[in-house]
Amino acid sequence: MNIRHAYVHVPFCRHRCGYCDFTLVAGRDDLVERYFSAIERELSRVETPLHLDTLYLGGGTPSHLGPRGLRRLFGILRTRLASAAQCEVTVEANPLDVTDAFVEAAADCGVTRVSLGGQSLDATTLRALDRDHAPVDVVAAAERLRQRGIVVNLDLMIAAPGQSVADVDRDLEAAVGLSSEHVSVYCLTWEKGTAFDSQRRKGLVAAVDETVERAMFERAIDRLEAAGYEHYEVSNFARPGFRCRHNEAYWDCRPWEAFGPGAARFDGRTRSTNHRSVTAWIDRVLAGADFTGDRDAMTDEQAARERIVVGLRRRDGIDRGPFLDASGFELDTLSGSAIGGWVAAGLAIDDGRRVRLTREGMLLSDGLWADVLGA
Amino acid sequence: MPIDCKHIRNFSIIAHIDHGKSTLADRLLEFTGTVEKRQLKEQMLDDMELERQRGITIKARAVRMEYVHKGERYELNLIDTPGHVDFHYEVSRSLACCEGAVLLVDAFQGVEAQTVANAYAAINQDLAIVPVINKIDLAYARVDEVLVEMEQSLAIDSAEVIKASAKAGIGIEDLLAAIVERVPPPKGDPNAVLRAMIFDSHYDSYRGAITYVRLVDGTIQKGQKIRFLETGTTHEVIELGQFVPQRRACESLSAGQVGYLVCNIKDVKQVHIGDTVTIPGDAAAAALPGYKPPQRMVYCGLYPSEGENFEELRDALEKLAINDPSFEYQPESSEALGFGFRCGFLGLLHMEIIQQRLEKEADLDLVQTAPNVTYQILKSTGETIEITNPQDVPDSGQIEEFRQPIVRTNFLVPAEFIGPIMQLCTDRRGTYLKTEYLSPTRAMLTFDLPLAEVIYDLHDKLKSVTRGYGTMDYELVGYFPADLVRLDILVGGKKVDALSIICDRRDADRRGRAIVKKLRGEIDRHMFEIALQAAIGTKVIARETISAMRKNVTAKCYGGDISRKKKLWAKQKEGKKRMKSIGSVDIPQKAFMAVLDTGGTERT
Repeated sequence: MNIRHAYVHVPFCRHRCGYCDFTLVAGRDDLVERYFSAIERELSRVETPLHLDTLYLGGGTPSHLGPRGLRRLFGILRTRLASAAQCEVTVEANPLDVTDAFVEAAADCGVTRVSLGGQSLDATTLRALDRDHAPVDVVAAAERLRQRGIVVNLDLMIAAPGQSVADVDRDLEAAVGLSSEHVSVYCLTWEKGTAFDSQRRKGLVAAVDETVERAMFERAIDRLEAAGYEHYEVSNFARPGFRCRHNEAYWDCRPWEAFGPGAARFDGRTRSTNHRSVTAWIDRVLAGADFTGDRDAMTDEQAARERIVVGLRRRDGIDRGPFLDASGFELDTLSGSAIGGWVAAGLAIDDGRRVRLTREGMLLSDGLWADVLGA
Repeated sequence: MPIDCKHIRNFSIIAHIDHGKSTLADRLLEFTGTVEKRQLKEQMLDDMELERQRGITIKARAVRMEYVHKGERYELNLIDTPGHVDFHYEVSRSLACCEGAVLLVDAFQGVEAQTVANAYAAINQDLAIVPVINKIDLAYARVDEVLVEMEQSLAIDSAEVIKASAKAGIGIEDLLAAIVERVPPPKGDPNAVLRAMIFDSHYDSYRGAITYVRLVDGTIQKGQKIRFLETGTTHEVIELGQFVPQRRACESLSAGQVGYLVCNIKDVKQVHIGDTVTIPGDAAAAALPGYKPPQRMVYCGLYPSEGENFEELRDALEKLAINDPSFEYQPESSEALGFGFRCGFLGLLHMEIIQQRLEKEADLDLVQTAPNVTYQILKSTGETIEITNPQDVPDSGQIEEFRQPIVRTNFLVPAEFIGPIMQLCTDRRGTYLKTEYLSPTRAMLTFDLPLAEVIYDLHDKLKSVTRGYGTMDYELVGYFPADLVRLDILVGGKKVDALSIICDRRDADRRGRAIVKKLRGEIDRHMFEIALQAAIGTKVIARETISAMRKNVTAKCYGGDISRKKKLWAKQKEGKKRMKSIGSVDIPQKAFMAVLDTGGTERT
């Protein structure tokens, strides 16, 4: 199989933010050396080096490795993961880590994009989100990256505890002012087991009212579209030509490789996820034991149904012809009646060739998937 | 040689629930040596699992004991009876086979509602009453006061009351002697033409129908041909015998005896409770009076929660009905719930038991609609129809008179609770009849109440206002006209037939408000706003709105996120399967019981 995409999970953080449920360790930099050994070992699965169109280092906080750590990691990765021409290489970064030395190292390693965890440009909201940086750090980091010619993908969070629609408006203005090539906007999700979630259960913090949250999200869509960004997936906005090609590979259901704790790979039919505990993953990899956790093995039909879900989360929606070619199923055989219902309810538009969700449909889309994944 | 009637005694034990009936029965079995002590399971006679679990007797049982009194050997047949108000019908069936009844009263609880009801049932059938005061060894026993209560309420001479403790084995011998001396022997003629009464039956997977009989006249032999008069069928007696308490075969049974018949009957429907057994041909005896057919007081719809289980549900109901003739079912269909059955029960406890047995024994997942009583409607055409489903109520223009069942309800309560009971019954549109004092501290209040009010929550309310000390019992007086209406519930503008109820017009506003409010809590938000309305005809009397979901979208869907999210979506899908879709609204199963919410908080 010709795999053109790879994901590497770097699980280190300075501290765990209260809303985060990702695979990571905070304050365990002592594990970094063993992590490198384990990554090297896991990479040995790859017999012939891959020629990648996209490589994505996510976390955790990959930038927490620092310039030297980043160079070490890329040194290891490059033994098996080669870049094809025009390869998109993305690294997630905390604004505080984006120093001149880091930017230099990133550029040297072939990094073309940085996903910048800015989250907000307002000090109060950043504190509410349990972040350790200040608005000025975001501005400085973006500026440094731009000067070095690295594309910036700014992450923003909205519907933070205590945030008002006016606060979101101000954040959006500031974000647009940074004129990054790409913006991701995430409504705060109260994941089970996080510190935020337990505080909410105790009544110490309150989630933003759903109607307000929707208004915030719609403001974000409107403002960013007005500023020339294309709203190409539920949470993602790009200036023309700057969509994240790596993420698009996920949504096209193309196969990809993945390395590191909690990382998920996909071979076209089965998605398997590495053990989500950092230490367990390291121990097992180094011991030569099985380090995978969940396996989501799908039939062709299940894979096709999943393709509908991720396809419809994109603004372009699903084109019937390419869908048939890629999945082997007629879209309407799988979910013709559901689509008909959505169109009638104003949740989707169907021009006979292409089906896509309306804004209303997109905002309510989780309620649609039970019908698609059925049977 | 058939046994002489003068050596037979047939009796029942009647008591309020929990007064120790089953323990006393166990003790009698043990004392007469019918069952050895080490074999004695608690509640020997209650062999249905549910009965054991709930500590109540549901079906009548019959057991033969032997007892020697003053040098004479007697056959004592104990025909057990259920104690709960729902099973009055079974009680009267058992009593019809007896000449006497042991009336058991708890020495602490005293005379309670079912004590009175069951005692009167026995007295009305001219049975000799052997009164017993039980649990006299309890530290809190108030024997003297309870004797007064028995005298006041049932005109029982306290000198005749046997003082006993079934648990401690006190007074058992006195009781057995009293049964022999005070209960008259049966009056049959063993040489007359065979005449026996079928008083129960159960189904045995190996032997087919086991028919319980009380012989009135004549004798019955193994191998003999017999005829069931009502069904008109002829059978050969393959086996006959008595319960000791297991089946024990014998060669013949004669007048006065109680036992069972096995006639190779595969279909229990051929065995009619109350039918007369006699000989085939022209010389057959005349039919015995038989029983009043059971009166189903409460109806509800039972639907499989997934459509494909309809056949399974039918099989399960059929199986249950075999051993429980008091329960009936008819196929019906509902727009909301699909194909199911309208089921009739003796009361709410009976309904609950049947539903539990269906879920437990047949492993069925059921949707139950709220129970309702039976109504009568006199149509303008002069025709009277019986309504067991609110859906069948005709247009108001066709109704001349709408009648509901009224029950005479006796409450036995400590005197300090008379006020709260008065209030409770007045709120439920009861008609006060009388108060009688059983003792200076205990009173019996009698009201006529609509049965519908009684079944919803009266028992719970009684227990709460009397701190558990009050008891009640009721019997049907008849159907009386009332200002009744059908209250419909609309979800998203569509009438949901399974949610309709019949209620008093004056209660409609309160009930309607309570139901739509309850439904609002039961139905999840959808992508669109859902109007919940209660209406009489076309007039909407209450409304609630479930606001539309405004935002429901996963923010992050990268790499491994999809697998995790899919699990969540799959859960939603499972949840949806367990709901019924009305239009495009998914209604959870338990919402169909929402109509039971009578708006209790709004009334005192």
